[in-house]
Amino acid sequence: MASSPRPLPPPEIETRLRAQFGDDVVSFEEQHGHAVVTIPPARYHDAAKFLRDEPELAFDYCDFSAGVDLGDEGFEVVTHLFSTSHVHNVRVKVKLPHEDPVCPTISDLYAGANWHERETREMFGIEFEGHPQPVKLLLPEPFEGNPLRKDFPLMSREAKPWPGDVEGEEVEEE
Amino acid sequence: MGLITEKTPLAGVQPVKFLLNWGRRYSLWVMNFGLACCAIEFIAASTSKHDFIRYGVIPFAHGPRQADLLVVAGTLTDKMAPALKRVYDQMPEPKYVISFGSCSNCGGPYWDSYSVTKGVDQIVPVDVYVPGCPPRPEALLHGILRLQEKIAGEDIREKFSGKLTTPAATS
Repeated sequence: MASSPRPLPPPEIETRLRAQFGDDVVSFEEQHGHAVVTIPPARYHDAAKFLRDEPELAFDYCDFSAGVDLGDEGFEVVTHLFSTSHVHNVRVKVKLPHEDPVCPTISDLYAGANWHERETREMFGIEFEGHPQPVKLLLPEPFEGNPLRKDFPLMSREAKPWPGDVEGEEVEEE
Repeated sequence: MGLITEKTPLAGVQPVKFLLNWGRRYSLWVMNFGLACCAIEFIAASTSKHDFIRYGVIPFAHGPRQADLLVVAGTLTDKMAPALKRVYDQMPEPKYVISFGSCSNCGGPYWDSYSVTKGVDQIVPVDVYVPGCPPRPEALLHGILRLQEKIAGEDIREKFSGKLTTPAATS
């Protein structure tokens, strides 16, 4: 019979990460009982490998890897890892510049990250260095642009304003 | 009689024309191109409560090559559009298309989306548009009746010439 899961509390995960990566841990916080760690792009692959291979952490499942457009602050790649043996979670965030965002791939560690990174690449224009198949996943091949970027123009909205605005409601400034 | 073509003799003569169209309108093998929630309403229309088989609409054609009617039910994306065109091209003439629901009519709630085709009539010629989000099964029945009225008035030779693509709207 399998041993009962022993989830590590987020502060314990922080201690282990700081012991391994020292000052490269840009920031650490706890959200909804999950550990959230920000790591520089150069250490992203190492961090994922450490989180996967350390027996007490054993994050063996990549739940998702996605992008966030933070506007002037650039982009963020958010990867959620889960441990099926210990039943604990961690989110790894990587901050990238707005110009030429490049992030290392973790698809060699987690096969499941492959398609997530392809989707993030086409939606945000974030290149994943070392990705085995950097082609579009969901968008049709001739599609130009990165539709989930905040500055992506919606042509229909250019021609016709959003009809859902309520009169008297404050319009959010762009 | 064999295949009806534009060369079939007497096809335009009134009693023959009536009989031909009467036979065609009550024997519509339908291909469900179900893409989203509208497809569920289509299925509801095919089951015992609404039962469009009583109008001679036969669901679950084994493939597009055996279908007379294509019902596009749901949100067509630009990536799916070539597949719709391919299914339509595989259907034998005479063929008809019902655009079922707001998404397939004009994009519906996805009018400003980057990925949705704003109207399947950009891809295939549509005979009847059924509005609604999603339309109730009764709306599909109404659309089918409008299509049958349209077939009843058709000249089979004109249909084969490809000139009959003018749409009819329900409600």
